[in-house]
Amino acid sequence: MSTPFDPDRLSQALLRHATASLPASSKLNQMLQSVSEAFHSDRCLLFTPETIQKGGFLHRVFSERKTLWVDDGSVFAGDTPLPEEKDLIQPSFACLPLSDETSSDGILYISFSRKRTFSPSEVDLLTLATLVLRDVIRGDHLRLRTDEVVSQVSALDELGKAVTSTLKLNDLLELILRTVASLLRAKGGVLRIEDRRTGELKVRRRLGDYDKNPVDEKLSKQVLFTQTPVSLDHFDEGHPSLSVLSAPLISNRKSIGTLTFYDKDSVPPKFDERDFQLLVTAANQISSSIENALIHFETFQRAREQETRAKQLATLWELNKALLASMDLDRILHIALTMITHGEGLRYNRAMLFLVNEKERALRGVMAVGPDSPEQASQIWNSLAQNKATHLDLIPQIPPSPPDTSVLNAIVKRTHISLDKNDCFLVRTILEGKPLIHQNPCHGEACHLSFEPGCSLGNIPGLTSTTSGFATVPVMGKGKVIGVIAVDNIYNQHPITETDLEFLNMFANQAGLAIENGFLYRNLEDVHQQLKETQDLLVHQEKMVALGEMSSTIAHEIRNPLVSIGGFARRLYRSLPAEASGKRYSQTIIVEVARLEKILNDIMQYTNGETVSFNECNLREILEDSLSMTSEESVNGVQLVREFADDLPKVRGDYQQLKQTFFNLITNAHHSVKDKGTIFVRAYPFSLSGSASVRVEVEDNGTGIDPQHLHHIFNPFYTTKESSLGLGLATVHKVVTSHRGQIEVDNRYGKGVRFIITLPAGGTAETDRNVSS
Amino acid sequence: MKKILVVDDEENIRFLYKEELEEEGFAVELAKNGEEALEKLPSVHPDLITLDIKMPGMGGIEVLKRIREKDKQLPIILCSAYSDYKQDFSTWASDAYVVKCADLTELKSTIRRLLGL
Repeated sequence: MSTPFDPDRLSQALLRHATASLPASSKLNQMLQSVSEAFHSDRCLLFTPETIQKGGFLHRVFSERKTLWVDDGSVFAGDTPLPEEKDLIQPSFACLPLSDETSSDGILYISFSRKRTFSPSEVDLLTLATLVLRDVIRGDHLRLRTDEVVSQVSALDELGKAVTSTLKLNDLLELILRTVASLLRAKGGVLRIEDRRTGELKVRRRLGDYDKNPVDEKLSKQVLFTQTPVSLDHFDEGHPSLSVLSAPLISNRKSIGTLTFYDKDSVPPKFDERDFQLLVTAANQISSSIENALIHFETFQRAREQETRAKQLATLWELNKALLASMDLDRILHIALTMITHGEGLRYNRAMLFLVNEKERALRGVMAVGPDSPEQASQIWNSLAQNKATHLDLIPQIPPSPPDTSVLNAIVKRTHISLDKNDCFLVRTILEGKPLIHQNPCHGEACHLSFEPGCSLGNIPGLTSTTSGFATVPVMGKGKVIGVIAVDNIYNQHPITETDLEFLNMFANQAGLAIENGFLYRNLEDVHQQLKETQDLLVHQEKMVALGEMSSTIAHEIRNPLVSIGGFARRLYRSLPAEASGKRYSQTIIVEVARLEKILNDIMQYTNGETVSFNECNLREILEDSLSMTSEESVNGVQLVREFADDLPKVRGDYQQLKQTFFNLITNAHHSVKDKGTIFVRAYPFSLSGSASVRVEVEDNGTGIDPQHLHHIFNPFYTTKESSLGLGLATVHKVVTSHRGQIEVDNRYGKGVRFIITLPAGGTAETDRNVSS
Repeated sequence: MKKILVVDDEENIRFLYKEELEEEGFAVELAKNGEEALEKLPSVHPDLITLDIKMPGMGGIEVLKRIREKDKQLPIILCSAYSDYKQDFSTWASDAYVVKCADLTELKSTIRRLLGL
């Protein structure tokens, strides 16, 4: 036997150990040592809850919190010990739970190889030992807990600081993911944010590639929707050891995303309750920061968009100013197309304009702006880059049309596409009234024109090639589509996006208005011109009418005296004998008066052509009338041949004027043949370029017209005769023209001449009844 | 003997016509304007009238109308310095339209024709 049992000593030792600044495990060992020494026990053990197997007697002690004493006087009976516990069954042993009313922290086991009893003071002492042991264990737990909490708090604090350190969205999200991952000691993580516009839960940040696993998306969606954090183990059959934590990010009671972590880097690789809590706390803390950053980001984007918009509007405004300053249609078009290839927000390589021609139901190429080759393109861009002036300053300098050397412009101007070709991209744009992008045409999608031989649009290099795309926008004017602008980026191959096209569309509409204005102005100019011409014509006609009236008045004034002079001269002549000298004198007076009267007649018939009345005329009747008028002039020896068709159509015209016309021609014919020869007068229906007409011919076999003077014959006051004013043929020409007819001269100098008058038929042909004249 | 009423504002024309037509064997009465012609009509009872168109006051056409209102049968010849294209609107009312000429042959033959001589 060694030292005697000393309770005080043990108590002191226990106290000493308990308060030593040593790790808990050392302290516990030392305490057990002391107890063992004091009791001279064979074994003295401490069972922690993890080491207590379920189903054994130890467990019963642990859970019932009742001490088991097996000593001299009692026998271990009751529970069947587990195999591992077999050697704990000793002649004397005790199992004391380290517990209070609510919980146990372990079991103190002490055993002896011989039977003995536990005295009351020993029991007390052992009980004391359990208290102290428990206290140490508890204290240790507490300390651990405290450490953990402190570290968590500081980690969260760190996170909080990090989160407020930046508003840059992507940096923030990266920071969050990494910081929390390191807090949780997770190997991988996924941060998802919900896209407000599309509702998609998009991966914004990742650690590792756990997001490739489809379970991640499903899980995240569920967490987002239920707004409940989730912790799962062994949920993926493919990776049975995978452990996951997922928490929703909630701001203003709305889910904005999820934060998910995988694969804890620990043994066992499972996330525990503390990790879970940490994640939840972190998620709460950062949600509002994320929301702020999101808002900030979006605001920034919006601001950028606004800025772009503002620039575009500025371009439009400048265009407007420039377009409205010019009324010259060509200049307007050139400015518009130039801005499309150089302007801020546009800058396409080439721009081509086609306008609709309503009458032809076709699309006509009007103008194109763009380099003809890659070399020319880079030349232009380089010079633009060097020239610091903005495009806006250049507008006033833009000439009215592209240079003559522009091959592109020449090709486009020759282009002509029927609007029925509705597989043509340009035509489709017109018909649908919508912009179209045609990116990378290939296979059957190519513009049909590239396959049609001879179509000039197919000649525009690159427009239909398979390497670059092109786009078309309709040009609207006054509510309907008046044309189309086609653009492409053949030289720098920049793709054309929907947003680019939106702006171009706006631009095209502005241009459309200006173009419409330009056309209107041009029309206005034309109309103005027409009005001026009509006005001039009216003034001329009024003059002629005045002249005619004047002529009438003058003729009347002159005629009456002439009648008196001539009339009395004739009386004198008749009353004088042949040998009287006065006879000759009076004859002279008669002749001269007759001459004057003829001049008056000629003038009257020429100037009085203004006041006509158009009716349906029977040509046969008129011709017969004219012939009868000239019968006095005919001399024996002259043969007159009439060839009138039976089905002569009626003609719309003035009876008297037509009569005068034929009379003049027949008179001329008489003068030409004098007293021998033949005069033919023919009339027959005729078809002039498909329209129904009538032809009247007056032919003679006299001397014909000197070819030198042929082009003078219809001029007023041109005559080869002495006693003629030269108005005969001029009158004929005037009347024929006013009857919308034509006159031709078939001249054979020395052999005769044939005048052919063609007049449009103005009524139904009717079989000429035999009218007795 | 047939009687002809000559209406013309020119004195010399009246003179000439009177000389010429009396030589042809007609009795000739003269009037120097439309009003005088209408006044003389009931008393003279001409077989034919020659009317100048352009006269001061009542023009020849007007006189023609007035006469025709009373007498649709009386032959009337319009004499005018205007060329014959104006025939179209006067034709229906007058019996003939003669352009004044120093050579009165046409006038005379027209008178004879209308009087059935």
